[in-house]
Amino acid sequence: MIKSQVALLRRELWEHRAIFVVPLVVAVVMVLTSLTGQVSVNDLKAIDMGIVGASNMPENARSLALSGILVGLSSPFVFAMWILTIFYSLDSLYAERKDRSILFWRSIPCTDFETVLSKLVTAVLVIPLVTFVIIIATHLLVLLNISIWIDFRGGSPWHLIWSAVPFADNWTATFVMLLALPLWLSPFIGWFLFVSAFTKRSPLLIAASPIVLLPLLEKILFGSSVVAETLFVRSVNMPLFAGLDNMDLLFQGEDHLEKLANAKLSLLSLMDLGGFLSNLQLWLGLVVCGLFSAAAIYVRRYRDES
Amino acid sequence: MTSLVSARNVSKSFGTLRAVDNVSFDIEKGRIMGLIGPNGAGKTTLLKAVLGLTDCQGSLSVLGLDPFRQRKELMQNICFIADVAVLPRWIRVSQLLDFLQSIHPRFSRSRAEELLSSTDIHSNSKVRELSKGMVTQLHLSIITAIDAKLLVLDEPTIGLDIIFRKEFYANLLNDYFDEERTIIITTHQVEEIENLLTDVMFINHGRVVLDTPMEDIADNYVELLATAENADKVKNLRPIYEKEVFGKKVLTFEGVDRQQLQGFGELRTPDIADLFVAKVKGAAA
Repeated sequence: MIKSQVALLRRELWEHRAIFVVPLVVAVVMVLTSLTGQVSVNDLKAIDMGIVGASNMPENARSLALSGILVGLSSPFVFAMWILTIFYSLDSLYAERKDRSILFWRSIPCTDFETVLSKLVTAVLVIPLVTFVIIIATHLLVLLNISIWIDFRGGSPWHLIWSAVPFADNWTATFVMLLALPLWLSPFIGWFLFVSAFTKRSPLLIAASPIVLLPLLEKILFGSSVVAETLFVRSVNMPLFAGLDNMDLLFQGEDHLEKLANAKLSLLSLMDLGGFLSNLQLWLGLVVCGLFSAAAIYVRRYRDES
Repeated sequence: MTSLVSARNVSKSFGTLRAVDNVSFDIEKGRIMGLIGPNGAGKTTLLKAVLGLTDCQGSLSVLGLDPFRQRKELMQNICFIADVAVLPRWIRVSQLLDFLQSIHPRFSRSRAEELLSSTDIHSNSKVRELSKGMVTQLHLSIITAIDAKLLVLDEPTIGLDIIFRKEFYANLLNDYFDEERTIIITTHQVEEIENLLTDVMFINHGRVVLDTPMEDIADNYVELLATAENADKVKNLRPIYEKEVFGKKVLTFEGVDRQQLQGFGELRTPDIADLFVAKVKGAAA
């Protein structure tokens, strides 16, 4: 079972090269932006001022600022990962039917359950892991680039950057975030897999239709918006950050930010992992994902592809 | 001898259409069975049932397994080629070998590489870069490298030119087949496989019209090429089919002793295509 699962996961990486290509493209954009951004600074004094400013910052504040840079670098990856996951899930059981290679895949000794499981594992685990590795490489490359500039202008990269970045905290938090997101959005992933297993054409259109039409229908027929709210809450309000209200950071002013900085801000401490894992909505979502995946297995097994 | 495939009253319906209708047959080890029938006769549906790709009514046992419910176990001992287009177009030859090596307990990579070394197929080529004939060669090579007991071929050479078709069947016999292995094959180009077959099964409208070893055909069937006058004289022997060729009558008989037909015209054993027409059209007449 594990051996065949590993072989099937390798197949997914061979077939869906976007799993690497998409985060790599984001990485190249981020690294190039950091390079050209600094090259275009025509006034070297600005860099010098930055170095002086950073040197005079308290250590916690410098840590916070650097952590902010890393979070800023990671954010486009998280967005790209979710877009990638949508397209991957929609294509995963559709492409093999479209090119009729399903007849070959079904001629090898593995079950429909194992095959669909490998697609699900790719969506919720492999894509986040690949994204995570590329995020770390991007962080290191961008920090290296900044270090070179600091060194070039006589600053101390070790003091200003490498000893100050809370790597463990930031990367662990990023890792948790990347794994939590597909779990929280798993009902959508399950739905996409199911659509991918049964639709004869336009999986994106078929998958999006009920997500758009059901709230509209509910509004027209019953005047309520339960479906819309459920979908909205599921889309934007992941309870991983239950202890933190994003709005607080924006509206509580500099005092609050300073307090946060002095408190030696840790990204991990902003996360309520226990609360997330014990959240009923998370588990309900996983059950929905399981039901859709079971339906995808059923369709793949019983559908006549001739 | 125990049967490799044993079907008893197997049926499969799609809505009101009975694609396979109460079919019973056995296939023994070491045989090459030709499954012959017109389009829509139910051949592919029957093969899918044998491969566990579709459920069916009745009792069907393949290698002692229920093909639909024990498909994973079954696929360790069965290979099939549905047609030339089923290998994924994005995969590299080396990836295909890697994949099969890691997932198929009976796949021999060295055997596959040995077979491929005599072709123009390179290990870093993608399937989409290969010609149709080369894809078939590749597919047959990997299947030959699997130590499977049963090989199912559904129109394996469709769309290939005559040279590749001949080569395919030559390789099938030379590299794959031995007395431990069994092949079920369907094709419209019956005349090309006639000499390979040990058994033949005709299927029409979902029903088995004929199921016989090839060596029994000469004993049970005879074709008489005769003048109209002579043909009339043997009509009492109830030919199953008759047709006219170049002003002469061709009558096909079943279960008639050749001695009884001696002197009325030229006698010969019908080839499979003629026998098929005789059985199918004769039954319809």
